[in-house]
Amino acid sequence: MSDLKVQNLRREYGPVVALEDMTFDVQAGEFFCLLGPSSSGKTTTLRAISGLEDLAGGSVHFAGQDVTHAPVQGRGMSMIFQTFALYPHLTVRANFEHPLLRAGLSSADAKKRVNEVAELLRVTHTLDRKPSTLSGGEQQRVAIGRAIVRQPKLLLLDEPLTNLDAKLRHDMRAEFKRLHRELGMTMLYATPDQLEALTMGQRVGVIRDGRVVAIGTPRDLYEKPADRYVAQMVGSPPINFLDTQASADNQIELSFLGLPVAAQGIASGQPITLGLRPHDIALAGGGSSRATRFKAKIHLTEPLGDVTIIDVAAQDATMKMVLREEVAAKYSVGEEIEIGFDPHDLHVFDRSSGARLGNGEAASV
Amino acid sequence: MARKYREIGKAGWGYTAITSVVGFIYFFPVLWIILTAFKTRTDALAVPPKLFFTPTLENFTSVFFRASITTGTSQATDMGLYFFNSIFIAFTSVGLALIVGTLAAYAFSRYPLRGNDTYLFIILTTRMMPPIVVIIPIFLMFRLSGLAGSYWGIILLYTAFNIPFSIWLVKSFFDELNPEIEDAARMDGASERRVFFRFCIPQILAGLSATFVFGLILTWNEFLFALLLTGVETRTVPVAMARTLGGEVGVDYGLLAAIVTLFLVPIFFVTFLLQNQLLRGVTFGTVKK
Repeated sequence: MSDLKVQNLRREYGPVVALEDMTFDVQAGEFFCLLGPSSSGKTTTLRAISGLEDLAGGSVHFAGQDVTHAPVQGRGMSMIFQTFALYPHLTVRANFEHPLLRAGLSSADAKKRVNEVAELLRVTHTLDRKPSTLSGGEQQRVAIGRAIVRQPKLLLLDEPLTNLDAKLRHDMRAEFKRLHRELGMTMLYATPDQLEALTMGQRVGVIRDGRVVAIGTPRDLYEKPADRYVAQMVGSPPINFLDTQASADNQIELSFLGLPVAAQGIASGQPITLGLRPHDIALAGGGSSRATRFKAKIHLTEPLGDVTIIDVAAQDATMKMVLREEVAAKYSVGEEIEIGFDPHDLHVFDRSSGARLGNGEAASV
Repeated sequence: MARKYREIGKAGWGYTAITSVVGFIYFFPVLWIILTAFKTRTDALAVPPKLFFTPTLENFTSVFFRASITTGTSQATDMGLYFFNSIFIAFTSVGLALIVGTLAAYAFSRYPLRGNDTYLFIILTTRMMPPIVVIIPIFLMFRLSGLAGSYWGIILLYTAFNIPFSIWLVKSFFDELNPEIEDAARMDGASERRVFFRFCIPQILAGLSATFVFGLILTWNEFLFALLLTGVETRTVPVAMARTLGGEVGVDYGLLAAIVTLFLVPIFFVTFLLQNQLLRGVTFGTVKK
């Protein structure tokens, strides 16, 4: 069983701490995503696991063995780099063959395997060309091919879709899922894009400043974010935040709502931040609880084709909501609409620590 | 009126003409020398210079064989040896400097020391003063060590002078490379040695060629050290050329031009051979490969 155990990794670049107490586990055969903004330590983590970084502390266990100080060569891991890092002076075939020949395969066996992988990734026609003559998508597939050709036990992927255009990214996401299903290898995927993490990862680890702050299934992270940071990292368009304070124990008042909303675990006067996902706001009359109805003015609309993101203002609060295109088309900027939400969908966070305090609930009227 | 825009990458006739004129001005001295090499002594000294004349190979013959003034018989000159010396000394020292420089440049680029830039600066200081300033101490060192007049002496000296240049230039090429490619090679099982020889070097062949040619041109034309530190047996062409000036029959411009023309051939040849690489190399990685 090739599971990966990363414990308390620490890495410093001079005064900058890149990794601080990075800890997580990946199960054998799992597709695990590391989600975090740029320079939060994703790349450094992958490089540390592969042995390309010197660590100031911590350990990496892989397939039951401590590989913290093992040489890079022979760890049984492969990496797909952000820049693809294809060998520019070698043909695609030679790019594929290199890891196989290093692993000691005969050239006949290597050739056979190269052809199989080329077929799997549909790059057979490029085998005798140099990487610089390939399109972005082909280069990406060659990079994947070179990484999987020797059937590594662990595949590390460092923002592999960042250099591709939107359409290709969409196709490649499906491609990665297909490969994961067909090859059954453990995959550790680093990305700053929540969409990639949520669509591909079986579990997602959210990273902040060199440490994992939350681990869970995409659904868990979306529905019960552990803190304000996770709530903001997961979900698109991003969650709305409303700063307010508890008007009484377990009770919140919002300036634009006529009635208070109940929420557990908060003390009177405590400064809190409410999180409300754009998808959880609906037009009034669309089944939302009467208690939370309010009027808001449309500020801005961003039509995306199927849906439209609408920026609304209710008194001093501004928030985003999402409407289906044909519904949104009935309204124009400057118009006042009546909207509402289900208090169960409210996320309550402590304003200073950002920690989750419990869901809002409908006030008994 | 809408202005008509030219396609990018296509110059008009005007620009082409200007460039041709400038190019011709630059090339004129070389052309003049080459033409003179094929002129008789009378033609060579004619005023205004003759553009049309009957070419002769007389000058080239007399580079290697000269009629003795006293006996009138044809006698071999030592020019063949001097050409060999120039080629041997320049190629060996530039080659050595490139090998040492490339290894050092890789180390400076990939395994920076504490105060890396300081070391690089110190290395460069050796190129900052004019050679004439250091010639006396070097001359004394050569006399004391017995290196004066030997092949090894002048080769070592030229190597030493080319190393800083090689390190700086080659380092810039290594710096341009994507280090993830080397990491990928390592993860694929390549040893450090293999990473260097099979993955780094092939990517900077253009840069190495450019460095080699630049170093070669500098060394090939070097005069001062060669004049003072080579002996009769190890004399290089620039020194030998200088010695044809003056003498009992005055300056033989035809002969001199013939030597210069022959002297240009190896450099032309090397540059031509490496030109595809050079074009990429001299852009110093500014053009995306």
